[in-house]
Amino acid sequence: MTSSENVNFFDQCSSPVGIGSELYNLVLGFYYSEAQLLDNLRFKEWGDTLAEDLKYSVPLRQTRLVKEQESSVIHSMRHMYDDYRSIMGRVMRLSGESAWAEDPASRVRRFVSNVQVYATTKPDELCVVSYLLITRNRFDDDHFDLIPCERRDLLRVSGDSFKLANREVILDQVLLGTPNLAIFL
Amino acid sequence: MKPKSHNLLADGTSISDLIDIEMREVKLRTLSDQQLYDLEQQRIFGKTWLMLGHESEIPNEGDFVQRFMGEDSVIVSRHKGEIYVSLNVCPHRGMKITTHDAGNAKVHKCIYHGWAFRPNGQFLASPVADQCMHGTIRDKEDLGLQQARVTLYGGLIFATWNIDGPSFDEFLGDAKWYYDMLFCRSDKGMEVAGPPQRFIIRANWKAAGEQSAADGFHTLTLHRWLGEVGNYKKGEEEGEGGDLTPEMFGAEVSSPHGHALRCIDLGRKIRRLTGKNPDELSTEEKLKVLPPPGMNPEMVEQLKKNLSPEQLQVMAWMPPQVGGMFPNVLFGFVYIPQADGSVVGSMTLHTYVPKGPDKLEFTNWIFVEKDTPPELREKMVMQTIQLFGTSGMVEQDDSDTWPHMTLTAKGAQGRHSTLKYQAIYETDKPDGWPGPGIVNEGFTKDDTQWHWWLYWYELMTAEQ
Ligand code: FES
Ligand SMILES: [Fe+2]
Repeated sequence: MTSSENVNFFDQCSSPVGIGSELYNLVLGFYYSEAQLLDNLRFKEWGDTLAEDLKYSVPLRQTRLVKEQESSVIHSMRHMYDDYRSIMGRVMRLSGESAWAEDPASRVRRFVSNVQVYATTKPDELCVVSYLLITRNRFDDDHFDLIPCERRDLLRVSGDSFKLANREVILDQVLLGTPNLAIFL
Repeated sequence: MKPKSHNLLADGTSISDLIDIEMREVKLRTLSDQQLYDLEQQRIFGKTWLMLGHESEIPNEGDFVQRFMGEDSVIVSRHKGEIYVSLNVCPHRGMKITTHDAGNAKVHKCIYHGWAFRPNGQFLASPVADQCMHGTIRDKEDLGLQQARVTLYGGLIFATWNIDGPSFDEFLGDAKWYYDMLFCRSDKGMEVAGPPQRFIIRANWKAAGEQSAADGFHTLTLHRWLGEVGNYKKGEEEGEGGDLTPEMFGAEVSSPHGHALRCIDLGRKIRRLTGKNPDELSTEEKLKVLPPPGMNPEMVEQLKKNLSPEQLQVMAWMPPQVGGMFPNVLFGFVYIPQADGSVVGSMTLHTYVPKGPDKLEFTNWIFVEKDTPPELREKMVMQTIQLFGTSGMVEQDDSDTWPHMTLTAKGAQGRHSTLKYQAIYETDKPDGWPGPGIVNEGFTKDDTQWHWWLYWYELMTAEQ
């Protein structure tokens, strides 16, 4: 019943890339500009940073015993389960006339931190773990929807920057407190 | 006639004042009212059959999942081949018996003082029974977890607190003939792709509930992107534009118990796939060209075994595709056009679980047939996640609408505004329609939703 791709994410991570090194700073820069593009609704430009073999998924979470911790991340069902084509479909929808879930758009801020970069067996690919805190506000809500999560990414070197080739987002909520994922994580 | 006191709200309004039967209008106040909400917990969620999941979620002895009947948490578990639904409240002092979403337990032990229960809810023991821990005033039989009445239908788990009430078949009535076409059409039955998605929408459960009773019209406007840039974007030969109306003809099934099914004509799709007039094709030919969601042409043989010729006729012509089951279930068993001209199905069921007058939990299960080939299965799961539920490009627009209705229902003026169901069918069944029930042909109307409200009204004002 389960397909468990990407559960071996940490097996792919080999030596850590030093914090503050030139490569590390490039990666950090990639994440800062990604957040800026998405927070400012520049979806098409964000689309240009995606690899065409992209896999993008947001597994479900469940409350389970500590000894069953592995079952707390569910891969058989997900909140998002996309590839390059479907993500670009989402971008097209958001750029269209009638994407009411995000028009008017939420005011969203993506706070990226705890970035850890690892080399992989492929010279042009890096594994990156980052924490992401999203604050989302809609209409005149006096509250913010908070979406804290960890992203496990595969970045591929492309020119003097990177392309996102794989992203798995581990959410902290079992019962999501935001009414939809019409925004990218 | 003076309204019966059990129908009076604190401000003197009677529940019967909230619905105007002649005008087919419902006061907006119903979408945000603590008192009505509290009554619904007893009169709706305490009385009707509620969907809690599917038996494929708990295949082994001792497997369990935690679910909700109204605001009550329940444990749904398997014991000696049977499914049990137990109130998740410790009879000792009220701790939750389980706080896990799912798991396997031969014994459920309360973590507070250690009382233990079997998966069927029976009280097993307290830790220091020899020191009179559970007393002698009550028999052991009396200390088990409260049991709901359970039924399985196509593997779907339904339960009710109405122990002596109508049977599940009575509850479904004529609508069962149509639901059988969805849930009981294959040899081995359906299974879940995995546990359900769960997320919170700050809206009254009825905003979603009444829509699930087959609001066809909203598709045109709220989901207009489908025609503009989505799966229903028309080819040049069909004329450009986002108009979805041609896709929406068919027949609608209403039920005196508030169930609703929109049976949408497959003619256009079959014509597109074959280049032929569907009337010139046999039922079997049509089913093989466009098998139901979860099936490939080889699996069509299974349909013939499990459904009547009349059901097959409807399946190949106007199969039920979207609709609901009272009070809070939505089904979508849809045929989605792909960019390459083919069609991939989606099978999804939601429940809208009440969490207070202004909040609901959207629970979304995705299904496949047990026999669905792996490649098709993967396509279905991906497509369904992309279109429905949390990140679904269709349903994310719905989840942004219901909260606003819940807010407008609070205004001193707004609460007196009405929801209107005045688009009325005058057509009756399509010619040659072999199915039972209240059926009307043509473009979508409001009858199914109006029947949903009539049943809500019947339950809310019934003799207690
Ligand atoms: S509350 Fe459960 S054992 Fe006391
Ligand atoms: Fe909708």
